This record gives sequence, C-alpha cells and structure tokens, in this order.
Amino acid sequence: MTLDFAIRLTEIGLGLCLIQRSLEHLARRGELWLFGPRLGFCAGLVAGVAPGWMALALLVNGVALLRRFGGPYNGGSTRMGLLILICLTLAEFAPGETWKATAFGYLGAQVALSYFISGWVKVVNPEWRSGRALRDVFLFSAYPAAESFRRLAERPRLLAAAGWGVMMLELLFPLSLLTAPTLYAALALCAAFHLANAVLFGLNRFFWIWLTAYPSLIWLQARAMEG
Amino acid sequence: MLGDLKLLLPALTPSWRFFDSVGPSPRIEYAMRATPQAMPEWREFRPRPATMSLGEILRRLVWSPDRNESLFLTSCAERLLENETAHSRDEIRARIVADLGPDAQPHLQFRIAVLRREGADLVREIAYVSALLPRA
Repeated sequence: MTLDFAIRLTEIGLGLCLIQRSLEHLARRGELWLFGPRLGFCAGLVAGVAPGWMALALLVNGVALLRRFGGPYNGGSTRMGLLILICLTLAEFAPGETWKATAFGYLGAQVALSYFISGWVKVVNPEWRSGRALRDVFLFSAYPAAESFRRLAERPRLLAAAGWGVMMLELLFPLSLLTAPTLYAALALCAAFHLANAVLFGLNRFFWIWLTAYPSLIWLQARAMEG
Repeated sequence: MLGDLKLLLPALTPSWRFFDSVGPSPRIEYAMRATPQAMPEWREFRPRPATMSLGEILRRLVWSPDRNESLFLTSCAERLLENETAHSRDEIRARIVADLGPDAQPHLQFRIAVLRREGADLVREIAYVSALLPRA
C-alpha cells in the first residue's frame, strides 16, 4: 500500500464516519450551523476535492464542537477522529515526502499504542486480572446497551476468560507488526473486539473510527519492513 | 486560542487508558412537578431497553443517535459530579425537556444517582440534586 493510497483510504473512511455522526446530531438536536458545514466538508473529503483544506476545515469545526460540548462528545472515539484529522491535515500540507510520512506514521503509531496502553492499564489492575472489573462493567456500569446484557455478569468464568483474551490481544498487538500476515490477523481480531463493544455497549462510533485508522498501520508496517 | 489548544491537546497525545478501572457509575433521574411544593416522583431518564433484537443491534451499528447522546449525558453527569458547571447542567436539562415534550409539568428537577462497588456490595447513593428548574 502506497502512502498516498493509505492517506486517501483514511480520508474516505473519516469523511464517511463524520457524515454518519453529523447526521445523528442533526436528527437529535438540529444545530445546522455546526453540522451543515461539517457535512459539506466531509463530502469534499470523501470526493477528494482539496482534501487538505477539507481536513483543515473539519479540524476547525472539530474545535468548535469541543467548545460546544465542553469537551469530546463521545470520549475516545471523538478524540480518535480529531487525531486522524490532525495527522491528515499535517500530511496533506507537509513540505516533503518525509514530513508527510512522519505525520501519517504518527497516526499508525498511536493506533498501536492505543491497544498496548489499554492492555497495560488493565493487566496491572488486580480487578482486571481476577475478572471482577469486566463483571462490574456488565453488572452496574452505564455501558451495557440493554438490560439483558447485564446477565453476562452471572458468568464470571466466561468474563474472566474474555477479560484475559482482551488484555492479551491488546498487550501483544505491537508484536503483530513484525509481519504483514500477523498484522492482518491482529487487525481482524481487534475489529471483532470493537464490533463486540458496539453490540454490547452501543459504542458504534469506536468501531468505525478505529477501522478508519487501520490503513495507517498497514502502511506503517510495510514501510518499517522496507527499512 | 490557548483554551482551544488545551481542548485539542488530549487528541494529539491521547492517554488511551480505556476501562483502566470501573469507577462509580452515574444514572440520571428526573421529576416533574406541577408546583414547586409538590412531592417529586423520581424516574430514571432514558432507561436502557430490556432486550434488543438482532435487527435493532445491526441498525445501531450505523444509526444510534439516542444511544450516543445518552453516552454524552453520562459524561455530563460525571463532569457535574467532579465540578458543577452550568454547561453540563444545561445539557442534561435540555435533553430531559426535549424528551418530555410540551405537555410536561412546568417544574423540573433532576438528580444523579451513583452506583459503586464497596467490597462485595453494590452501593447506590444520590450524589447530586439540581435546583428546581423551569421547564421552558
């Protein structure tokens, strides 16, 4: 995958993600003055019309949204969207190929870190190691999308195994960068993990935005292997 | 400008500490009253559905405005418990009013109940009660 193709895929993915989010906002609250222009910039980004300027406009719009909502609307998924926008903007306006690759590579490195750090903070916590943390997520946290999903809290062995599976996947993720096949396998598992979060906890925005960032990792791995 | 940078910086250098621990979990409850003196009848705001069909789950993968707004309101509730701000209070109030429609009673109050683990037990306590707010 070439750098330009990976950037283009990311721009299309991000544009579609932000269109979906904007339509959700418009359906709930209106606020056309914020989300109307956003839709236009997203359409431009997807179509590849002055993508650097579209990314910059979306970044300015994103800051306006941070102000409007007093911070990220949906935590990590909002921040990942902004991170992708920052990296795309820097890559599009970079003065040369090296800076372009550095800006886009930073995104790939952050995606890898997002898994490793999430795994690390869990594995050092005894409640995650014992399985109780994941049980508590289902038992009383605000996340389960339906009350019926809380019944999973009554299956501690299953949740302990799932918790360890998630921790291992996240912690070992950086090793998957050693070869292309292992990276593809790890990305497929991670996508399944995000899909499970979308189903069980209603975190649909995480699912789409992390997938959007995957071309940066695929490109970064290939670039690193080239030396 | 400096404020904007402070808002943007966590996106540029994210912490990625997802679910590092399971902390106290807020629930928003509300009560409408005909008069300020009437006794409040508290109800949970936007209780989650008992079950979801496969079709509903699939639909929510691409279209979930209510759920994402509820997650935002959970963030507002957490922010309100950390440091009471008019922004978080007004965001919660506006959503309750919008959901209730024009026929609701004129006075609104909301509160935040918190569920947390204490040893082997689950504890529920009221951590915040708003002032009586006009519906309009």
